[in-house]
Amino acid sequence: MKTKTWVLLIAAVFAVLCGVSFALYHIRPQSTVANVYQDGVCILSIDLSAVAGTETYTVTDEDGHENTIEVENGRIRISEANCPDQVCVDTGWISGSLKPIVCLPVRLVIQIESDPATEALNLDAVSG
Amino acid sequence: MKRLFPILLTVCLSLALAACAAEQGTAVTETAEDEAVSVQVFAMDTYIDLTAYGPNAEAALDEIAGEIETLDGLLSVTDENSEVYALNHADGAAVSVSETTRSLIAFTQTLSAQCGGALDISVYPLALAWGFTTEDYRVPTDAGIADLLALVDESQIVVDDEAGTVTLPAGMEIDLGAVGKGYACDLAREILAEYGVEHALLNFGSSTICLYGDKPDGSRWRVAVQDPEDDSTYAGILELEGCVVDTSGGYERYFTDEDGTVYWHILDPETGRPADSGLISATIVSESGLNGDALSTACFVMGLDKSIDYWRTYGGFEFVFITEAHEIYVSEGIADSFTPVYDYEDAEITVVSQ
Repeated sequence: MKTKTWVLLIAAVFAVLCGVSFALYHIRPQSTVANVYQDGVCILSIDLSAVAGTETYTVTDEDGHENTIEVENGRIRISEANCPDQVCVDTGWISGSLKPIVCLPVRLVIQIESDPATEALNLDAVSG
Repeated sequence: MKRLFPILLTVCLSLALAACAAEQGTAVTETAEDEAVSVQVFAMDTYIDLTAYGPNAEAALDEIAGEIETLDGLLSVTDENSEVYALNHADGAAVSVSETTRSLIAFTQTLSAQCGGALDISVYPLALAWGFTTEDYRVPTDAGIADLLALVDESQIVVDDEAGTVTLPAGMEIDLGAVGKGYACDLAREILAEYGVEHALLNFGSSTICLYGDKPDGSRWRVAVQDPEDDSTYAGILELEGCVVDTSGGYERYFTDEDGTVYWHILDPETGRPADSGLISATIVSESGLNGDALSTACFVMGLDKSIDYWRTYGGFEFVFITEAHEIYVSEGIADSFTPVYDYEDAEITVVSQ
């Protein structure tokens, strides 16, 4: 092969490698992950996009609090809790990253990392 | 030539790898300069999410979190050691309180007078009677409401700065919840400035949001205004920087009785019943968090016309109001920053000028 061919071939390899490294760096898998925090510590991480049907988890603490978390594809809620105010249960299903589910008496927070709708609108916060 | 090939290939591979490393390298440098630090606080009856960028972000947020907890210790209505608790249980006697508590009460007295009593911190016993503080909801009897209303009038509170005391009439109880988060925003802004932080987003349970500076990339923050009738979606988007956004709506806390009537938690101090002003959402954009926090509640109670009159008289803030008829009213100063979305995309928008 001629030198020119080699140069072209290697340039092509270089371009492909650059493309691959760029793609690996920028393209992240499309998943919606919900994290459950108890007193600021992440105790449970659930990939909501991988859930088929309904799954439930129960979170308890030393003071006898019990929150039942229900998960379906792309959404999460607290379906039952023995906290006094029931604000967490009343919040209902969430599927977006901007409004977490908060159970103040239990210091329990469910936060979705990111979701397509929020990313599409490029939002930083919701006022309401 | 055969010798040249491996050399050239090596050069190319290392260049490609270098490109890859450079990508990450840039990202690392960016993070060092604009590193996001987040701190969460459970206080003021809400979940507070603080995010700041830059080298001093962590120290600034730690100090802010401490200040919020101190403030909560002064203003909490349920904490038996708080100044507000002491005032509410003084049975008419003067109580020595901090300058913070005195100035907050004095601020609400001025604002209450300006907006014809649409905001009144002494409406608290009625919030208790409706069960909005305990989620033990009930509709009080007309007589019960009338009895409690007789004690609602914050202009009766005596703030004595010389003696450092506050005196409530016997039986009156107050809740500074309508201004606490806004005041915390203002304290936080001072601390961020002291630490030289340039970008921060302080989110007080979505109801009060402090946008400090612009975003680290130089663009404006994008804040959605919640659809007042569907909390999973939005009515519009505001693009703003260097301000506090405060939204009041009935949907935050409400209950429905057996006849299907909805009762929400923002009470009209004049009637002792849930505000029924025709507004279903009031968003205030203000430089002062204190002003914004208090005014979003006051405007929700005053309704469209009185709120616009108030704005034309006193100014100092911008607004987005949504009415029961799904019309949107935006003040001229932020009309260009507001974009309606989803169900409100075709809503009638009126730009209000001074």
